[in-house]
Amino acid sequence: MHTSPPRLPGELTFMALIVAFSAFMLWTSFQISKFDSISSPGVFPMVCSALMVVTGLMSLRETWKASPGADANQSVFQQFLVQLAPLKLVLFTALIVAYMLALEVTGFLLSSYLFLVLSMQVLGSKRVVLNLLVSALVLVCIFIVFQTAFSVVLPAGSLVGPYTPEWLK
Amino acid sequence: MMESLGYFFMSWLDVKMLLLTAAGTFAGIYIGAIPGLSVTMAVSILISFTFKWDINEALALISGIYLGGVYGGSRSAILLNIPGAPAAIATGLDGYPLAKRGEAGQAIGLTTVVSVYGGFVGILALAIAAPAVADLALMFGPREYLLLALWGLLLVGTLSGQSLSKGIFSGALGALIACVGLDPMTGENRLTFGSLQMSAGISYVAAMIGFFGVAEVIAQIHQLDLKPIKQNVSKIIPSWGLVRKHLPLATRTSGIGVVVGALPGAGGDIAALMAYDHAKRTVKNPSRPFGEGAYEGLVAPESANNAAVGGAYVPMMTLGIPGDAVTAVIIGALYIHGLKPGPMLMIETPHLFWFVVGSLTLANIFLLFFGLTGIKIFAKIVETPKPVLLPLILVLSAVGAYAINNNPVDVYWMLGFGVLGYFLKMYGFQVGPVILGMILGPMMDRSYRQAMMATNNDGWLFVTEFFTTPLSALILAAVVFTLVSQTQWWKRLRGLN
Repeated sequence: MHTSPPRLPGELTFMALIVAFSAFMLWTSFQISKFDSISSPGVFPMVCSALMVVTGLMSLRETWKASPGADANQSVFQQFLVQLAPLKLVLFTALIVAYMLALEVTGFLLSSYLFLVLSMQVLGSKRVVLNLLVSALVLVCIFIVFQTAFSVVLPAGSLVGPYTPEWLK
Repeated sequence: MMESLGYFFMSWLDVKMLLLTAAGTFAGIYIGAIPGLSVTMAVSILISFTFKWDINEALALISGIYLGGVYGGSRSAILLNIPGAPAAIATGLDGYPLAKRGEAGQAIGLTTVVSVYGGFVGILALAIAAPAVADLALMFGPREYLLLALWGLLLVGTLSGQSLSKGIFSGALGALIACVGLDPMTGENRLTFGSLQMSAGISYVAAMIGFFGVAEVIAQIHQLDLKPIKQNVSKIIPSWGLVRKHLPLATRTSGIGVVVGALPGAGGDIAALMAYDHAKRTVKNPSRPFGEGAYEGLVAPESANNAAVGGAYVPMMTLGIPGDAVTAVIIGALYIHGLKPGPMLMIETPHLFWFVVGSLTLANIFLLFFGLTGIKIFAKIVETPKPVLLPLILVLSAVGAYAINNNPVDVYWMLGFGVLGYFLKMYGFQVGPVILGMILGPMMDRSYRQAMMATNNDGWLFVTEFFTTPLSALILAAVVFTLVSQTQWWKRLRGLN
């Protein structure tokens, strides 16, 4: 017999959000050229977003019908935190966001080094000295390979760039 | 003919190309083998670094990574019972029981040989079929391209996931993302919300790195504590008797791999599962029962998924339609290098086609060499702790996204798509169709509008021409069948549910 998998915490909210997003995109697509012509620039985006609304609603219905994951002792939000957003994941994602934002300010080398060391620590690699050494070694390799072989210009950073020696940029 | 042969051997005779192909194959095997690192992720990240290279050098590296990566997944499936890539899921079913019996060496050896065999079958099919398909494709008009792109999107949406609606949603989302920016036909702004940055569109390489790199890294945090079980490996090179015994099955399943790989949007993962199913149904006396260490259970998926590589190149080179997610990424790279995959690419730049065939053949030879050696180094690399590995991939992803235009906005897009990709994956959506949608969307948009304009915006004529033109009618039938075959009604009718 066909049985649908149990509903994950937050799944219903996610499905509702993607339906709302799809509906918003349908409206935005409609605004491009309304119903000017059957081959106007807005037709294809409208078709795509309409398809997203329909399939999003179908997925929402499937999720609605699925039985919720059984753990009566915890609220949906608590289950969400445990199953989909555990502390390590949230901290690591926060570090990624901070790293991406810092790239332009503190430059590739410094921000990457801090990101590597801190995230290794957050993810459970407890050997601090090893983390420091591995991060430095890997970064040197990446820097040399990408600057020379791949000719990639890595961000020097608006804050530290002016004080960085030319060969390190 | 001689000219084609010259291009075929170009990567064999140039030391730089030779080294790049070897490096790509080697890296592909190890990247494919590390659970959590997919070949799509590797190609997505590495491709952004090759934009400044000569196209031949980039293609040589990519050919190696692709072939090596598809094979590499089998190593960790056999040794650790963790498929390194989705294409190796079926391999673990019999590979791991073999390893537990102390036959890991033989299993790896046989897998390597049949993978290389499957790879050669795929490359041969590519060399023979692609020129013929390209000739046929010259007859295609916008209507046929529209249908082919739609078929590709439906196939990947329906075959690669559990839910039809989620598959189609992912494909439509990708096509919608591709619409952002200036309309290529009228120059009108679409979905830019008045932002100048968005007028330039969203880089699909940034999206690819986000969906395949960042999302996968975040998802892997759930498996930080997964401890692989080490196996002893001895005697890797398989006996000739063992290989010969399984060649007929490998030939059949390589054929399956080529055909499934060549279907727009299908690819090695599905080819491997279908080949495994074929072996289960047709092999009457397997070496052991399937699931308990049958060599046939290794031979079928492994020959099929490597044969699918050659198959996937056929629609990519001849129609500009990706055979799977990796070829979607490669198409993106070709566009950035100023090339437009399709029948005209085959006619105007045949040297590129024969160069690709030559590079794939060379990569396949390297695969045999690297596959049968270096097992001890392999064990060390695969056991790299994830707390160290994941941040490194993230840094590489960031560099890759930044390298596209030296623009931090691409890095932010990558991060956004990474987080979105994580939740999509967790809630049962496939991210592969999103990327295919991004590649196929513009083709569908352009083809639809060209076909419609050809009928002077006459909707009725536009629809009827799908049925009155034989080529369109044939592809339309395939599209309808794909859609119907995934419905509950059809499954009930066939007694599949």
